[in-house]
Amino acid sequence: MKTILAWLLWLWMCLVLYGAFLYARPAMGFAAGQSSRIVFFHVPMAWVSMIAFLAAAVWSARYLLGGRRAEHDRAAAVAIQLGLLFGVLATVTGAMWARIEWGAFWNWDPRQTSITLSLLFYAAYLALRSAVEDAETRGRLSAVYALLGVVITPFLYFIVPRITFSLHPEPLVNADGKIDMDSEMRQVLFASFLGFTALFFWMHNLQCRLQALADRKSAHFYE
Amino acid sequence: MWRDASTWAAEAAAVFAKDWRCEFRTRYALNTLALFAFTTLVVVSVSLGPLGVSAAKGTPVLPTLLWLILLFAAAAGLPRSFVHEEETQTATALRLAATPSALFCGKLLYCLTLVAALEVLITPVYLAMMSLEVHSPWLLVGTLAAGGYGLAAGSTLIAAMIAQARGKGTLFAVLAFPVLLPLLLLAVELTRHAVSGEPAGMALTQILLYDGTVTVAALMLFPVVWNP
Amino acid sequence: MGNGGIEWVVAVNLVIWTGLFIYLLRLGKKLRKLEKEP
Repeated sequence: MKTILAWLLWLWMCLVLYGAFLYARPAMGFAAGQSSRIVFFHVPMAWVSMIAFLAAAVWSARYLLGGRRAEHDRAAAVAIQLGLLFGVLATVTGAMWARIEWGAFWNWDPRQTSITLSLLFYAAYLALRSAVEDAETRGRLSAVYALLGVVITPFLYFIVPRITFSLHPEPLVNADGKIDMDSEMRQVLFASFLGFTALFFWMHNLQCRLQALADRKSAHFYE
Repeated sequence: MWRDASTWAAEAAAVFAKDWRCEFRTRYALNTLALFAFTTLVVVSVSLGPLGVSAAKGTPVLPTLLWLILLFAAAAGLPRSFVHEEETQTATALRLAATPSALFCGKLLYCLTLVAALEVLITPVYLAMMSLEVHSPWLLVGTLAAGGYGLAAGSTLIAAMIAQARGKGTLFAVLAFPVLLPLLLLAVELTRHAVSGEPAGMALTQILLYDGTVTVAALMLFPVVWNP
Repeated sequence: MGNGGIEWVVAVNLVIWTGLFIYLLRLGKKLRKLEKEP
């Protein structure tokens, strides 16, 4: 990514920081009002994590249907690694916020639970990759699992809320769904989301290139 | 490429018959499943039974344990359907002999019958030992059927995948459990309803939806898994 | 966490973000150099 674009992104994130902390007012109805500002980072990271997994599925499909090219397999794997990173960060920030707001790190909030369960799925993807030596078999099986993820994840997101609601009839408030958002908050949230998405694709590009160089080096090693 | 439907069915049936014929020679899978399930069952019963779990406390917890027993037994006994082929190097012959979808259905049927046998064996014993009264027995039967099917379908696909990897036993559990998680959540909820007598509600629709989705996904993805 | 602490939080965030960006840019430069080699 060109340096100038990177610095533009940096500027954008500085604006997001300003917006998150100084421009938008803290959300109504939260005890430690200022802590709700974490939502500007927590929510976009969760969204980006989901986009990452979706992108991985797309690359996996391209791998399977587009000639089994190593670059697609690599792109899928890197996307899932980054998706896990953003997902874990989203979960951690969510738990931190839950602790501040409602006194407990974990509340069986539907969203909190769903994202953690889907992270389990994608962690298993990495386990699968490390268990297959042959590059082509690895690419093939990983692609299948990534596509399976697209099928399974919606079930997690639709089933879990019903179950957690039925067990805890008055759940603690949805960490991010029920916030009364005014327009300023929405603007900052959207801006933050764009920034994180750009960051994801930048990191993805760098990591893919790094991985490609490493693969090339190890290929030469065996020649 | 159009395959004659009767040929396809014949292939699937042949795979199914072959697997059971092999199974009856060694009875490996049956023994593993039964032994594992009974051992787990005994552990659960001995630790909870003497305490005398009341109906109020039992209803939420006991269905979960039942499905955990079924899940772990399946993880112990089902992967063999494909791992065995790789180990004895009969996989190549299978690739030549059967179309992938027919092969998958044959294997699925085999796993399905194993799971059904497991459920028939374990559930009555579990209910008896835990003194669990089921108010909607037909719902329980339906849940065992739908849940068992989902268990078999997901496990068959994952078994095919891990057969080509290392660390097969643990890798199967690692890959299969996240996939089967929605199914288990639904099955446990439905079992709870069956025990307490509440109506099934949305969960029944959702579990059938899961079964359908996994079947379609597996049929589409299996050829990719199977053919190098 | 009153309003008094907010500037400090912003400053810390700024440092972290700038650090991250510098790191990523340097990684990019190194990659470009390595990719140019035959």
